[in-house]
Amino acid sequence: MSTAGGIIRALNSGIKHLAIRRFTLRYPEQKLKFVGDGFQFNPETGVGIAGLRGRHILYHEHCTGCQLCSVACEGIAEAIGMVKIDETWKQNKKAIMPQIDYGKCVFCGLCVDACPFYALYMTNDYELSSFTKSALIYTPAQLAVKPKISQDVEIKIDDRGATHG
Amino acid sequence: MATQLPPGIQLEKVDDRIMTLNVGPQHPGSGHMRLIIKVDGDYIVSCDPDPGYVHRGEEKMAEYRNYIQNIPHLERPVIHDSCNILYPYCLAVEELLGIEVPERAKYIRVIASELNRCIYTLYWLAIYGIFLGHSTMFMWPAGDRELFIDLLEAMSGARVTHAYLVPGGVRNDLPANFEERCLRQVDYLEKRLKEYQSIFYKNPILISRTEGTGILSRTDAIRLGTTGSVLRASGVDYDIRKKEPYDVYENLDFETVVRKEGDSYARSYIPYLEMFESCRIIRDAIRKMPKSGSVRTKLKPNPKGGNDEVYKRVESGRGSLGYYIVSNNRPEPYRVKISVGSFRNLICMPYLLKGELLGNMPSVYWGLNYWPVEADR
Repeated sequence: MSTAGGIIRALNSGIKHLAIRRFTLRYPEQKLKFVGDGFQFNPETGVGIAGLRGRHILYHEHCTGCQLCSVACEGIAEAIGMVKIDETWKQNKKAIMPQIDYGKCVFCGLCVDACPFYALYMTNDYELSSFTKSALIYTPAQLAVKPKISQDVEIKIDDRGATHG
Repeated sequence: MATQLPPGIQLEKVDDRIMTLNVGPQHPGSGHMRLIIKVDGDYIVSCDPDPGYVHRGEEKMAEYRNYIQNIPHLERPVIHDSCNILYPYCLAVEELLGIEVPERAKYIRVIASELNRCIYTLYWLAIYGIFLGHSTMFMWPAGDRELFIDLLEAMSGARVTHAYLVPGGVRNDLPANFEERCLRQVDYLEKRLKEYQSIFYKNPILISRTEGTGILSRTDAIRLGTTGSVLRASGVDYDIRKKEPYDVYENLDFETVVRKEGDSYARSYIPYLEMFESCRIIRDAIRKMPKSGSVRTKLKPNPKGGNDEVYKRVESGRGSLGYYIVSNNRPEPYRVKISVGSFRNLICMPYLLKGELLGNMPSVYWGLNYWPVEADR
């Protein structure tokens, strides 16, 4: 009797879920909202600013070509290589800037921690898939582009359960 | 440990009746490991676990990278519990380099590691459910896990491999309104966890499959050197958070969950009950946390450890997790040894499976809270 009762109780608690709202993010239509504009780092205090660790953004006007990001990445993913650029910036005598291979990057953000010149941050852009491996290598010019963000869905919790919407 | 066998079934000496089964390494029920099981009919005569298929040489890799660069690859063995696997490393490196951690960072670390313990346990519970054929128990924890993943994503910026804990504190401060959001989602998860009781833990089908299978006595649990939930399921009150408190665990209010049965049911029930304790710890830590202050001590670039050796351990989702680090005045550690709970719990599997039904193998195996990738390192 107790076995039958237990099975009925188990089924009952499953059936109750028919009335509960669905907890599924319908991804391409809905996109989850993140905190802030991506992971940033303040070299003065040595503490980061919370945010999603997505694709990087490179501020050309701040980058000095010091290679610290590339050195930081050396033992981790070896995703960052320094490349020559055509632009001339007076703080960047060597005219080199980081180029990031997202086929290798693990998005740990330690390159952002390493940059002392407020030049390299991360953004909320995480949709980086491509059809070729070479398209995953982002040149300094591509890294300078601000991503278009359209993420607006948040988790809502009420008596009827948690939903995205 | 052998259960009562029907008459006519012999466990030893019937060579011609015994068949050898290879469970794994590609079998989904075994994880990345092979179990060489000898069966007599439906009964397991002997079991020989064969781990090592996902060995990555993490310990050797750690000798070629400096103390900061080690962070992203050291969390790879258990990406679902990445804060807890980095925790002892950070504690050990802090002692080696003589770094003081700010008070607020200690609380944030505790919150992050408890959230991560819940994420790991829910993931484990989902796998445990699906291997016992309970697909609802796969869907529910896998869905509810998203809530905590989103919390840790807001904290650290990554969904799974957080790389959030560093020697000297944490990478970044909590985002605005995090405490409020965290408490709301923790409350919701607790409400949801109570619903798991009637559909899974009080389900007669689960009880009939797990109760009384793979009994590990208290003396055997101590003798075989098991840790974590396996040890506590056999009636040993041992939790490193209580016995050797690290960071701020001594200030926090929680209890160790112990059960005396030592069977597969108790082993699967303990991680579930510990999630409630984790929720309690998170609530308490948020209440006691200093509201402002620094969260990271600034390190020198490429810090060097002295001629020293340190061993630090924490309670992870799978038991004791320790790092033994030797340094010799260089920016890289001389030797890093990772001692993981998964590998220690694996040792009791041949003892538990002897005399069990082959059909009970998944419940005993996953009840051990074993994670092959962590065990192989």
